[in-house]
Amino acid sequence: MEVSHSVKERTIAENSLVILLQGLRGRVTTVDLRDETTATGRVTNVDAFMNVRLAEVTFTDRQGAVSHLDELFVTGRNVRYVHIPDEVDIRATMEQQLQAIHRVRYFGGRDKGRKEFPRAKHK
Amino acid sequence: GGAMSFLRRFPPPAEGVRHQQPDTEAVLAGRSLGAGTLYIAESRLTWLENSGVGFSLDYPTISLHAVSRDLSAYPWEHLYVMVNARFEEETKEAPVGEGEEEEDDSDDDAEPIAEFRFVPSDKSALEAMFAAMCECQALHPDPDDEDSDNDYEGEEYDVEAHELEHGDIPSFYTYEEGLSHLTAEGQATLERLEGMLAQSVSSQYNMAGVRTDDSIREYEDGMEVDIAPVVAGQFEDAEVDH
Repeated sequence: MEVSHSVKERTIAENSLVILLQGLRGRVTTVDLRDETTATGRVTNVDAFMNVRLAEVTFTDRQGAVSHLDELFVTGRNVRYVHIPDEVDIRATMEQQLQAIHRVRYFGGRDKGRKEFPRAKHK
Repeated sequence: GGAMSFLRRFPPPAEGVRHQQPDTEAVLAGRSLGAGTLYIAESRLTWLENSGVGFSLDYPTISLHAVSRDLSAYPWEHLYVMVNARFEEETKEAPVGEGEEEEDDSDDDAEPIAEFRFVPSDKSALEAMFAAMCECQALHPDPDDEDSDNDYEGEEYDVEAHELEHGDIPSFYTYEEGLSHLTAEGQATLERLEGMLAQSVSSQYNMAGVRTDDSIREYEDGMEVDIAPVVAGQFEDAEVDH
């Protein structure tokens, strides 16, 4: 489970519903943009500012014309709505994301067992 | 049509350039602006034609960007950038003559949109261009965010920052780093404390912070601490509850 390496972003995420969107990583989702266009693709990443990165995207513009994009990055400001897939258990997803954040916070990052506090040599 | 009025001559960005792609054509609303170099810098996105004129886009104005390899939609693989701004050849008073700039509703209150395409001669560079744009875009979060609760102080203990000595929260300074952060007053305080420590080392009954005849100095900041000199056996009579 990937968690942001930024303290600020983790804090923002655990205090907002962005944490739910971050749990959609890997899932195919439809994002409605502010300008009435829509993008359907696999979520690669959602950051604390709700910037959404999608892969293998079907993009529908305001006139209804469809095109395909390998990758798409939409700024959070321009996201109107994110469709949560039906099969997603919203509560479980949020809890898993919170647990991932807490694991990083209390037990270190990728290296398990790394001491949380600096060793005595610093004193 | 005439020359694109928004094109200017200026030097390319000098710092924070995450990616630079030469031999890249810029296209606005289906109209080619020529061949040049795209600079994806942390401060802004800049494209400069080989002749030296070009334009810059600020990340907050960029709604989205994408890699398009769908040749049925557009005949060349490119980096697509949608901008929340108006870039026109004609003056604003003139009615929109070119079909590609016409918006569906043509409402005055509809958001202006400009579609740029950056077509590199090296198609394999598109991934790197896309990634660089994502990184730079993330550096410019929306200041108008409705959620005003984004003032998180970050009480979380950043394990990585404290181990690697960088991160969002300043942690431990090395000696040299710490010195460089001192103000003049801080420097004076440091010297005074070091002087006191030097005194205390020479006499085992002196503690740092205890003023003795040797360590009395002028204290510029007026901070004077009166501590009674330590007398051996001073606390012998005290009742101790353990």
